[in-house]
Amino acid sequence: MKHFDAVIVGSGASGGAVAYTLCRAGYKVAVLEKGRLIRREEFSKDELAYCRRDIITPNLFDEYHLIEEKEGGKWVATPTYESGWSFWNGNIVGGSSNVMSGMLHRMHPDDFRLKSKYGAIEGANVVDWPISYEDMEPYYTMAEEVVGISGVAEKHPFAPWRSTPDFPQPPTKENEVVKLFDKSCRALGITPLVTPRAVLSKDKGHRNACYYSNFCGSYGCSSGAKGSSTESLLFPALATGNLTLMSHTYVKSLESTKERATSVVAIDTVTGKERKITADIFVLAAQAHESARLLLNSKSRHHPNGLSNSSGELGKNLIFSAGGSGQGELHRESLKEISFEALMERGLFVNRSILDWYHIDHWWDGRFKGGSVEFMFEHQNIISRACKNNKEGGKLIWGKALGERVAKRFKESKSIRFEIFNDWLPHDDCFVSVDERHTDKYGMPVGKLRIASHPHDLKVGRYLAKKCEAVLEEMGAQNIYSSVSPLPPQNLIAGGCRFGDDPKSSVLNRDCRSHDIPNLYVADASFMPTGGSVAYTWTIYANAFRVADHIVRDLSQT
Amino acid sequence: MRRRDFLATSAVIGLSASLHAQEANTETKVLEAAVPVIAAVQQHMFPEQSSLPSAKAMDTVTFLKETITHASYDRDIRGFVIEGAQELERRTQGKFLVMDAAQREAALRSYEETRYGSNWLARIMTLTMEAIFSDPIYGSNIGQEGWKAVGSFGGSPRPKERYIEL
Repeated sequence: MKHFDAVIVGSGASGGAVAYTLCRAGYKVAVLEKGRLIRREEFSKDELAYCRRDIITPNLFDEYHLIEEKEGGKWVATPTYESGWSFWNGNIVGGSSNVMSGMLHRMHPDDFRLKSKYGAIEGANVVDWPISYEDMEPYYTMAEEVVGISGVAEKHPFAPWRSTPDFPQPPTKENEVVKLFDKSCRALGITPLVTPRAVLSKDKGHRNACYYSNFCGSYGCSSGAKGSSTESLLFPALATGNLTLMSHTYVKSLESTKERATSVVAIDTVTGKERKITADIFVLAAQAHESARLLLNSKSRHHPNGLSNSSGELGKNLIFSAGGSGQGELHRESLKEISFEALMERGLFVNRSILDWYHIDHWWDGRFKGGSVEFMFEHQNIISRACKNNKEGGKLIWGKALGERVAKRFKESKSIRFEIFNDWLPHDDCFVSVDERHTDKYGMPVGKLRIASHPHDLKVGRYLAKKCEAVLEEMGAQNIYSSVSPLPPQNLIAGGCRFGDDPKSSVLNRDCRSHDIPNLYVADASFMPTGGSVAYTWTIYANAFRVADHIVRDLSQT
Repeated sequence: MRRRDFLATSAVIGLSASLHAQEANTETKVLEAAVPVIAAVQQHMFPEQSSLPSAKAMDTVTFLKETITHASYDRDIRGFVIEGAQELERRTQGKFLVMDAAQREAALRSYEETRYGSNWLARIMTLTMEAIFSDPIYGSNIGQEGWKAVGSFGGSPRPKERYIEL
């Protein structure tokens, strides 16, 4: 077997970004991906396949997680094959970046120094990052250009500063509902902002502009407009001739000496054949909970508590994105400002976010870190929307009453939705470990996620939800509701391999290199000690580009 | 809710396990025996002269059979779909198929009063909605009548293959 300069485990946003930089710098790289490659031409808008069956994630009876929650004062672990609550996210080449909605923001400079800015919070393990926004900014800009993030730079007190005057591409097209949204916000003294989006509004190289299919999030993109790892990073990396992309490759563990990682033990998921792959540098990019699991499953006599775990911090301080969502219905008969036909136009985006509540400093409400909010149409999936309208008073409705209700709901109204992102505070009761008694179909212990949220997260989420409901009310929406839950979104996971300057309290150094193993990096969101109040994706792309530059420096010195 | 909660409250505890143990062809026979009742329930939920196309016109029961017998479908839910139909038959002394619409309504609403029945009816409803509103490539939503009824259409590109054949 060929020896590589670098082996990357995982092909999503972070794995793709590292591969892109290394391959362009002339290094021989292998990217190992458990799933298969789905090409642009193969993606379709098949709701049944992509949204209601697990065709791009493992069958939970084959591969699962244990989710540990507190019930009646005791921690109870439930396998996800029991609950159906999958913690897999797009196990295909390019990972979950294929199916993201791509509504992205940079983290705010204060997110890098949360403890200094807001102080400690009881019961939470908040720390400052070892790097600042200034260190990350060039890579946010690089992601904008390489991944292709469209938008428009607007002045706002909580918009992070940028080194370039504007985005490389203008925003994607918007539904006329933004007229109503913007007017309603202004009436409330709120500043609406155009959401930056990892979706191309114009052609870019081999990728075509968005064609407004009406089915973006949860689906792969058929034009290449979405800034997936596959389209924006892996295909250009393949074009260098330096990338070996190994799909259908499950990594069981890493082998190591006392000082260095030496190989990965991988299984060809088609043939079942096991093999070792060697490299100078190893990069984990398997998504936060899985990268920590892989290191915990890589214990040896030199590393009895797992690889890169001399601190005992491996798997600890797992974080998600706190917040929740809500929505309201815009009805034909009560619609203001725009025509109903314009509202019903297919495919165009809402593309609006509110950053006004990122930092709260109010005479009555107090001073605390708030969050960001995205506004969008309710997902246009037909089956799921129909299923949401088949109950009344907790009972199923059927027959003609069902027909009338569903048809009216679809034809006479359209729902606008908001999603809240606020910090999921890191704390001692949110971490990933492994349980030797539970193994996946490859015989490896599965990840066991203890999940609890900090009460502060719920307070902030509810505060923001009330603000958002007021916006929908001003818009004239009906049947407004919101839900702020202590349960995490399983697609926004970070932490578990904190970076920091002290090897005793962190797993990775500020370059995301293992404190213990100098040829081991973790490039995904595992490094994040706190998560900010925006979706992680842009930061994952940016940080992986930053890490890749450090790896290039390492490789150039060997 | 945990998936097995409905099994724990099953009126016929143990049948699910015995179904697993049986040969696949035996399970197919059990399913075939349950199909008329399932089809009748679907038709009651999605009748003619509604704003939505009827279950019969959309052949939703074929979709249901193909879906739940595919290897990717949860085997516990497959068993549950069959058992729930058997339980309905038992509750109606085997007369569900000969009942008129009012009698069926009463029988189903009575069944819905039980947690088990409520879960089963919701499952049948979901499987029927999936049929009527999924891409016509899956054999239901014939002529896109389901989509036309709600004025919403699947996106482009549409699937060229069914996931169950991949």
